[in-house]
Amino acid sequence: MTKIYKESKAINDLSFEICKGELFVILGSSGSGKTTTLRLINRLIDPDEGAVYLNSNDTKTMDPVKLRRKIGYVIQQIGLFPHMTVKDNIGLIPRLEKWKEEDISNKVDELLTLVALPPDLFRYRYPNQLSGGQQQRVGLARALVMDPPLLLMDEPFGALDPLLRMQLQNEFLSIKRKLDKTIVFVTHDIEESFILADRIGVMHGGKMLQIGTPSELLFEPSNEIVSKIIGAENKFKAIRFLQAKDVMIPLDKSCLIESDISCKETINMMISHKIDSCIIKKSNSDIAQVSLIELLNEKDKAKSILAIGNKLNVFASNDTLSSIISLLKSSNESMAVIIDRGNVLGIVRINSVLMNLV
Amino acid sequence: MAAILDTIISVWTTHQITLRTIQHLQMFSIALAISIIIGVALAILVYSNPRLANVWFNVLNIIETIPELALFIFLLPILGLGEKPTIVACILYSILPIMRNAYTGLAHVSNEYIEIAKAIGLTKNEILLKIRLPMALPLISSGIRVAVVYIMGIVTLGGLIAAGGLGVPLQAGIYRYDIPAIIIAALWVGTLGVIFDFIAWVIESRLARRFNPW
Amino acid sequence: MVALLPLLDAILQHLTLVFTSLAIGISLATPLAILSVFYKRVSYVVLTIINMAQSIPSFALVAIIVPLVGIGFVPGIVAIVLGSIVPIVKNMYVGLAKTDIALIDTGKGMGLTDLQIVRYVRLPLAYPAIFAGLKFSAVIANGIAVLTAIIGSGGLGRVIFEGLASFNINKTLSGAIPAILIALSLDMIFSIAEKKLKSKSVY
Repeated sequence: MTKIYKESKAINDLSFEICKGELFVILGSSGSGKTTTLRLINRLIDPDEGAVYLNSNDTKTMDPVKLRRKIGYVIQQIGLFPHMTVKDNIGLIPRLEKWKEEDISNKVDELLTLVALPPDLFRYRYPNQLSGGQQQRVGLARALVMDPPLLLMDEPFGALDPLLRMQLQNEFLSIKRKLDKTIVFVTHDIEESFILADRIGVMHGGKMLQIGTPSELLFEPSNEIVSKIIGAENKFKAIRFLQAKDVMIPLDKSCLIESDISCKETINMMISHKIDSCIIKKSNSDIAQVSLIELLNEKDKAKSILAIGNKLNVFASNDTLSSIISLLKSSNESMAVIIDRGNVLGIVRINSVLMNLV
Repeated sequence: MAAILDTIISVWTTHQITLRTIQHLQMFSIALAISIIIGVALAILVYSNPRLANVWFNVLNIIETIPELALFIFLLPILGLGEKPTIVACILYSILPIMRNAYTGLAHVSNEYIEIAKAIGLTKNEILLKIRLPMALPLISSGIRVAVVYIMGIVTLGGLIAAGGLGVPLQAGIYRYDIPAIIIAALWVGTLGVIFDFIAWVIESRLARRFNPW
Repeated sequence: MVALLPLLDAILQHLTLVFTSLAIGISLATPLAILSVFYKRVSYVVLTIINMAQSIPSFALVAIIVPLVGIGFVPGIVAIVLGSIVPIVKNMYVGLAKTDIALIDTGKGMGLTDLQIVRYVRLPLAYPAIFAGLKFSAVIANGIAVLTAIIGSGGLGRVIFEGLASFNINKTLSGAIPAILIALSLDMIFSIAEKKLKSKSVY
């Protein structure tokens, strides 16, 4: 794909290619032209100069409605129509394309399963009955319904809290592996771009400054602006000074379970609080984590919550970051929980810590 | 107590209030249904052709100020006495609140929804019918609620021009100075008015809650 | 043939009905609205009654006046006031209650009492809303004034009812046309007043 576009230089002589099957992240701050670029691809706006080519066909020659139905689109926050159920949201375009009702139902169920929402629980809910993360999953399912070869995503995880964002990023990566899609993903979050991208294009002032893999950008920034945006200079030095409390993500009280309740009660509690994952404190040294999906898959719903979960490493709030990293590395874990005098304060994700340093 | 009950029963039967209620509600439902259809259709028309919006709203505004009885008088030479002019007057009054709210609802759907609808490949017409119209429902329903009150009032007046309905016992009561008939008929009409307004309110607030974006 | 003098008489009577009722309406609505601004419970009761009153057909209202007050000019006025007071109270209350808190605080800071704040801050700022309510109320009053002829209030309604009873189209029209013209001029006058006040106010 190639395009050149000028309009008070919102996009300034932009030209780049995206390869089939890759996850291409456009990274930039607000006003860098990244969202405009995305909107040019599915012709929500048309360039004043230049053109977008899809498989070497000029998109200008295509009917915009037909074009958009072949391109999935996911945006931040308000993406779902509030007057439609989950099923109607996902099935909107198939219905307009006059699919059979049965095919629509099957496709909706298949996609809900793919994005880890049990169809029986979620099919007939309205968007305002879903948590932010669940809404975003439905948004993704809707984007995939016409099985588009190309997927455009505009900061889809931007409005979520950090814990949930990471969980969804990981889920998204595994979904992506199952599907063979070209994805263009817009974000201002460097960490997110490093986690997800095959290649990253750094945009600034309507221009593409550099395109490369995460490590290329980190170690061979083409100019100062890129290295400033990536922040490659001085963060590694901090590893010796930082403590657990400096890098942890504070834990929301509603995500913490300390009492002996059943799986079923926990599921109800999580759904009503709209949380996807919670921390179980069994004793001061025995703390575990469990996700809603795991609970839903649990056969014996009457089982005590204290009997399940994935055990986590526990650190004190003044443990140094280097000690946490080395211990987690050696035990091959990605997550730890931080406590202070018996109180669970927060969690540490090694990925996010490393990314913060980068 | 028994005397009161006897009076009620005797008024109810001599003035055929059951029959009058049925006539009343018949006119009410016909007028309401037609008003909704015309009001929403006009709103869609004006929405896709906004240059005429002001003309439409000004004309309907003028009709709205005319006293109901005066409007009846103008309809009489064309439609005669009875149900027809009553229903037409109901419609003429009710189009404005429905149309104005529907128009506002259509025009004020948040841009984010329109953008995403466009982005996933809806045509202009599909956006109007599948997104704008359903999302305007809460506002349309509050316009309908206003219309419900208007129509209740005008149908009652229809009794004065031989349309039947509950205006008939009211008029008869006044002309014959039949106090029990006046009280019973007026209370019954008033109660119906309040009940229908309440039903409309319930529907309106249900819709508003469902459509409230999170 | 329609006699001109009796018609003029009817018009005059009609205008008297409308304006007397409006004047009474305003003088009843003002204390109600002001009390509602200061006392939550009053406002709850007033608004509930008003919302219910609005959904009662005007014919029923006029009819129920007969056993309560009787027939004639005064009962007619009572009916018109009852039927048309709702928009005045509602708009006055909303106008008074929605005044910018900062302005009220400024008034308090200058040492104004609550009532002085109503008089010099809330009321002037609420004028556009109040006049919008008055316009609506005047149009309704005009409509009910036609109707109250049935309980002997006189006015243009009487001409219309007499015409209806004798199948005299000319006579009904001679009652209906002035009633419509009065409605349009009321609407126009209050619209102009509303617009003037709006352009004067700060917002």
